[in-house]
Amino acid sequence: MERCDVAVIGGGVLGCFAARELSRWELDITVLEAREDVCTGISRANTAVVYPGYDHRPGTWKAEICVAANASFDRLCEELDVSFDRCGSLMLSFGPHADAVLQKKLRQGRENGVPGLRLLSAEETYRMEPSIAPGLSSALFSPTAGTVNPWQLGIAACENAVQNGARLRLNTCVVAIDREEDGFLLKTNHGDIHTRAIVNCAGLAADRVQELLHPPSVRIIPTAGDYLVLDKNSAGRPVHILEYEPEEKAKGLTVVPTVEGSILLGPTERENGVDYATAETGLTRVRELSARLLPELDLGRIIRSFAAVRPNPQHPDGSPIHSFCVEHPEERFWSLIGIKTPGLTCARELGFHVTKQLAKELAAEQKMQFNPKRRGIRRAHGLPWEERRLLAEQQPDYGEIICLCEDVTKAEVLEAIRRGAGTVDGVKRRIGTGMGRCQGARCEQKVAALISEVLGLPESSVLKDGPGSEIVRAAHENV
Amino acid sequence: MKTCKLLIVGAGAAGISAALAAWDAGCRDILLVDRASQPGGILPQCLHDGFGLAKYGKELTGPEYVMRLMEKLNRTDIVFLPKTEVLSVSGDQSAVLSRRGVVERLYFGQMILASGCREKNIGALCIGGTRPAGIFTAGQAQERINLRHQDLGDEIVILGSGDLGMIMARRFTQEGRHVIAVLEQEAHYGGMARNYHRCIEKYSIPLHCRRTVREIHGKGRVCGVTVEALDSGEREYVTCDTLITALGLIPERELVRGLEDREWLFLAGNCSRVHDLVDSAVAEAERIGRMAGRRLSV
Repeated sequence: MERCDVAVIGGGVLGCFAARELSRWELDITVLEAREDVCTGISRANTAVVYPGYDHRPGTWKAEICVAANASFDRLCEELDVSFDRCGSLMLSFGPHADAVLQKKLRQGRENGVPGLRLLSAEETYRMEPSIAPGLSSALFSPTAGTVNPWQLGIAACENAVQNGARLRLNTCVVAIDREEDGFLLKTNHGDIHTRAIVNCAGLAADRVQELLHPPSVRIIPTAGDYLVLDKNSAGRPVHILEYEPEEKAKGLTVVPTVEGSILLGPTERENGVDYATAETGLTRVRELSARLLPELDLGRIIRSFAAVRPNPQHPDGSPIHSFCVEHPEERFWSLIGIKTPGLTCARELGFHVTKQLAKELAAEQKMQFNPKRRGIRRAHGLPWEERRLLAEQQPDYGEIICLCEDVTKAEVLEAIRRGAGTVDGVKRRIGTGMGRCQGARCEQKVAALISEVLGLPESSVLKDGPGSEIVRAAHENV
Repeated sequence: MKTCKLLIVGAGAAGISAALAAWDAGCRDILLVDRASQPGGILPQCLHDGFGLAKYGKELTGPEYVMRLMEKLNRTDIVFLPKTEVLSVSGDQSAVLSRRGVVERLYFGQMILASGCREKNIGALCIGGTRPAGIFTAGQAQERINLRHQDLGDEIVILGSGDLGMIMARRFTQEGRHVIAVLEQEAHYGGMARNYHRCIEKYSIPLHCRRTVREIHGKGRVCGVTVEALDSGEREYVTCDTLITALGLIPERELVRGLEDREWLFLAGNCSRVHDLVDSAVAEAERIGRMAGRRLSV
């Protein structure tokens, strides 16, 4: 039977960071991911913001770790070779209601130790972001806010964990947990695993995973939010993250100039977050708010809409929980349940927090040869042409363009597949193929053909993402 | 330093025609580049006939049309560089070309952009529901079926009744697939009457105007769509395994963004404006090619 010291259940951004932090210790780690790839759930669809930490009540753990996590983000992204843009944010008010909200956030932020927070006049704000609609009252400027690609961060953490000895098992779903001598027996769809400890990072299923062994303590109520993406090079693209706090009692809008150059607009907030399905009404609402806030924005440049799901934690009696739920129902069993905003910001800190205590429980020793550095896939895009020439001379595949919109070469696609992308969306998440204005219409087939070639699968077996998502069928395949 | 007098980006009907016209006008040193391995642009995947009535006085298939252009091209010294992507074009009249093993900078005297169109896709629609496999643009479906002989699905809904939508409705039907409906948001089908008669009427394919897809259903693969009748607001669930979008064409000229007003740059064919007929794109490209060619030959 397979044995390990720690089983991390769930390969989202939290599980990936838990595994990475655990891999600093002399521990045998296995990450169990139910789906075909890491970062396919909550981590795949969210606002991509690294929050400064003014949203949380002073004195709370959430406030404390958010501020600390934000401060260490540059180093983290440098270690993991992931793009991070500390572009700063502006929380925008157009009237007395929002002015009061800004005042409150400013007070909270200062008490939480958020650096550089400043209340700006309308005039100062328009100088920074001239495309904001007229009528601004004031803005809260937060220079430490930033944006990161969430799934690329998670994938990087996972690669770093594997580099440091962790194992990744995909398509592996935990169906039962039994207590055993010196640990637990995990029953999965691919055999049993004996583990000394469990870190449950199962995202939307984290409550159910804990309940395989323990009585319910936290329930996850998923809600959904809708987003729109605008193509890069769009006029009216802000430089900062904008957070629009409307006067009416309704959810506002966040505008994120992403590290890829696109503009992310959203989210709404609604019930019934199932299957990451968008709601037409939600998308309409995002369009309306976007047009209201940034009138110059050309909504004809929308290239994608998607929905996020948030894991809202509740007590079993139905009352909401506002803090992160780090459950510790027994020794060597840790659960991260209902980690929503700012979960992405705090992913490393949460992993660190659990690891610190778990290492003690397991009497583990620190790994002397831990390497915190991971190299990303070498990108051709953005390099001066002379460097691209050298690259193509050394590796001819760097001269072959697969995705025109996002300028991705064959060499990069092949490297993504080598690093574990087995689906069209897996390649997309690693290097951005199909993320642009044609949404894969021109590269999907080429990417699928490369996956088929490298992995030795017929093209009819290549999946878009999850089970049942074959793109073409076998019958008429050209052989 | 690599140079050419006339750089033509895109070797579809417009690019080849522009090159030929420039040649006839006396221009030498013409480089024609295309990302595909074969010339012809979109034509090689258009196996149906109906091309060339104005220019050749008969109805040709896409590949036949390309053959006629290639016969002429082969009698010239115009250089055709296949499998080559133009990464960027700069204001100093240079372009960076990329192909397997080679990235190079090329200086040119004049440039004709003949890069055609891209298809508007489902992403732009702000549609509700999931994002499963089984959604193709009409052009993507045409390439997969006609050139790669792939099997995309059995029960087809086509959103959009432009020429490409109607042609693909016929193509799926000819392949023995069931086209449940072609849906058109407007009150009248979008493409040419000729295509309506030949592709829709002749095959008795249901085409419903004032209807659109509001929601996509399915987890791995499309399993259905919610269709709304726009006048009554009534919605109906339609079971299908494939959704084809024929939402129209967008001239593709991202490459010359910000350079559109340069006197050395010309646009020819569908990247300049969407033409209904290849003959009309060709006529425009010939005019442009002659103009660029004359400038360069003096």
